[in-house]
Amino acid sequence: MDRRSFLKWSGLATGAAMVEQAPGKPPPAQVVAPGGQVGVVTPNGATLPMKRSGKVKVGHLIAGEFEHEFAPGMRALAWGYNGRTPGPTIEVTEGDRVRFYVTNRLPEPTTVHWHGIILPNGMDGVAGLTQRPIPPGETYVYEFTLRHPGTFMYHPHFDEMTQMALGMMGMFIVHPKVPVGPRVDRDFVLMTHEWRLDVGARRPDPNEMTDFNVLTFNSKSFPATEPLLVGKGERVRIRLGNLSAMDHHPIHLHGLSFKLTATDGGYVPPSAQIPETTVLVPVGSTRVIEFVPDEPGDWAMHCHMTHHVMTQMGHDAPNMVGADTRKLDHRMSRVMPDFMTMGTLGMGGMGEMEMAMPPNSLPMRGGPGPFSYIDMGGMFTILKVRDDPDRADPQGWYAHPAGTVAGPASPQQMSADGIDVSDGNPER
Amino acid sequence: MGADRRVAGLVLLLGVVSPGCVSPSMQSDLARVRELTHLPLPQQMAEARDVSTGFPKEVGQLLQQPLTADAAVRIAFLNNRELRASLRDLGVARGQLLQAGVLPNPQVELELRQQEDPSLPFEPQTEIRVEYGLSQAVLSVVRARAARNELEAARYRTAAFVVELGYTVRAAFYAFQAAQQRVAIATQALDAFAAARDASQALFEAGNVPELDVATQDAAYESARATVAQLELEVLERREPLQRLLGLHGEATAWTVTETLPRMAGEEPSFENLERRAVTASLELAETQRRLEGAAQRAGLTRVEGWLPEVSVGVIAERKSPVAPAHGEWEWGGVLHFTVPLFDRRQGTRSAYEAEFDALMERYQGMAIDVRSAAREARNRVQSTALRARQYQQVLLPARQRVMRQTLLQYNAMQLGIFQVLQVRREQLDAELTYVELLREYWTAHAALEALLAGRRTGASMGGPMGAGGPSSLAGGTEAGGH
Repeated sequence: MDRRSFLKWSGLATGAAMVEQAPGKPPPAQVVAPGGQVGVVTPNGATLPMKRSGKVKVGHLIAGEFEHEFAPGMRALAWGYNGRTPGPTIEVTEGDRVRFYVTNRLPEPTTVHWHGIILPNGMDGVAGLTQRPIPPGETYVYEFTLRHPGTFMYHPHFDEMTQMALGMMGMFIVHPKVPVGPRVDRDFVLMTHEWRLDVGARRPDPNEMTDFNVLTFNSKSFPATEPLLVGKGERVRIRLGNLSAMDHHPIHLHGLSFKLTATDGGYVPPSAQIPETTVLVPVGSTRVIEFVPDEPGDWAMHCHMTHHVMTQMGHDAPNMVGADTRKLDHRMSRVMPDFMTMGTLGMGGMGEMEMAMPPNSLPMRGGPGPFSYIDMGGMFTILKVRDDPDRADPQGWYAHPAGTVAGPASPQQMSADGIDVSDGNPER
Repeated sequence: MGADRRVAGLVLLLGVVSPGCVSPSMQSDLARVRELTHLPLPQQMAEARDVSTGFPKEVGQLLQQPLTADAAVRIAFLNNRELRASLRDLGVARGQLLQAGVLPNPQVELELRQQEDPSLPFEPQTEIRVEYGLSQAVLSVVRARAARNELEAARYRTAAFVVELGYTVRAAFYAFQAAQQRVAIATQALDAFAAARDASQALFEAGNVPELDVATQDAAYESARATVAQLELEVLERREPLQRLLGLHGEATAWTVTETLPRMAGEEPSFENLERRAVTASLELAETQRRLEGAAQRAGLTRVEGWLPEVSVGVIAERKSPVAPAHGEWEWGGVLHFTVPLFDRRQGTRSAYEAEFDALMERYQGMAIDVRSAAREARNRVQSTALRARQYQQVLLPARQRVMRQTLLQYNAMQLGIFQVLQVRREQLDAELTYVELLREYWTAHAALEALLAGRRTGASMGGPMGAGGPSSLAGGTEAGGH
């Protein structure tokens, strides 16, 4: 690296880091690290402002409670850092000396564990083992040098079950001094998480072990997840972190294949990078994937566990699929006129049904799509591949060229191709 | 009444006319009972009536509409045979009063004797003696006074019966009405069970649940059906006592009642000076007081009888045989009879009357204690049932409705299934069932308190049963068959 490029990235890095990103349209990719490495974008999130104090970069995390909106119509009291969940993404460079002040405004003690980062033992943030927990109202300081690049995370290590279940976590990006692999044009971080928020309740339940009903990217549930807007032919990096309580997430991307380039343990050698369309992100791990899309469009990106794309799906309702309920419906009209049998024809239309719902809930809800209602929610977002991403509307839908959208088959076409649906069995 | 007494006493004292002419008629008995009960008792109660002549016109009119508790009481007053018999029983006491005031009859003695000279032809000599017992004539006045107290006591007794009948009719009416209302609620619960059964059947046929779920729901439905059948029997059983109290038979037994028990009144009855008011109003105490006075008068009468010699005065007319020499003329003379109360001074009878008085006095005082206790008990019952019924009316039922509403919302949000919705609905109906029972208890306790303040302790204020309710729960224990 020459002196000119050093000045270029260091100045931009400071400028970019001092201003939190506004929600909505992501800012254009900016070079923040040596070798033209662009800054990471945290959809629906922010980057932690870092000040310089001599040779040390200084950040301040304030742990506390606030009201968080998972999606319009569903808010809850969460815990996090600097009034958000996930906490602001920390973005620094290999070799940086960092100092983090951590102020505890929670009702109980806390610590911060710098997940995956190799540092002095007393800075590891494990309550009781490596430090005294930070009492409510007090501020502790952590200081260490980042000796290894990579994608890491941070979270409490005191009553972590509660504190993480309520939203305390964040991503920690350490750019390498010398870029590894091809330069990327877009660099995103997505933290996956799972929550238990009972329909109509106002605080996530940290006691839940298995039945999570709100699944999020960066603590947002579709349709509130901000899409990832990228350009056709651009090299894109997505850093995935998982601090869910119990579940791994197989994150699946449509419209392309990618390669796993790094984990929180380090970089994957090119020879070991195999093409994938789904990457499993285990609990307590990060995975970094890279790809170059060549098909423009609106591509789904989601956890492939089907219950993880169903916001506040109930698991106590009986399986009504296929039931003939005419007799029951007649009876129920006498017992409870407001009752309506549901689910007998499947549950795809549930999100669009006009029924009274409990307040502050998004049960079985998805979001609007260009063709119809998208009946997926939760850990779902959209990768928008555009020819000119910097001018494209992140909220706009892809305009399909004529003849490239699936539609109804005409009898003539079916007949010409020898398709007969009269007996429903194409094998005969 | 004081004027009546004075008139009657004067008449007895003078002995001019028969006491029967001044005895109160049945109308006056009825008027007196009406006065004692402060109830608008119909005049027809005193009229003679045969069963074959049908019911009073007013009864027919009242039966045309669904009955209210007030209408049922009115019919009972018009038509209850025991009440009519009780009114007529007053005639017994009235007859005894008449008899007590009757003056003794004079004694006439006619004596025919053979003349002393047997040689003379048979021409008997004649002696006529007329005597009148003065002591009994004087004592009849006192005896009538004692009997008058007995008549008044009997009227108090009849008045108490009227008040008690009113309460009994109300209690029976509320019991029937509640039973009918419970069946209606239980039928809705049964529908909910049937819906759960239908749902499990539909799910089983779709292959979504095992047969165990269908069997479980079937069993729950059949259990509920048995419960409803029991409640239906209870309606019939609650109907007949009311039928008897109203004195109805034949086509007149097809009456209906208003569908639901009235909601609780806005204000509870006043409990100020309750014990004093109950004691003052008590017809039982008043009756016992009259009986005490009667016993005292009988004891006094016996004391007088013991010391008062039996005095009778008379006139003697004698006529010698006309054939006897110097005879044939009437000779006149007087006679005075009296007994010397040396041995029989009516000690035994007097002692018995005094003992009766003492016993009555003990009972009177004990009754006063009981009436006060009954007043407190009636107040406690009204307050307790009002508190519980009001809690259901104002808090619990709305809370159950809220649970139902929120359950339906959770169902809409697919957080709950149909079986849980139906279970909550049954629990809501269960609360309504309990509320109906509490309302019945409240109105029964209310009627008992009113009866107490009208002068009569009733079953509810004498520690008797308040009436049994049917099954208290229809919610069923089957949580859900489909999950």
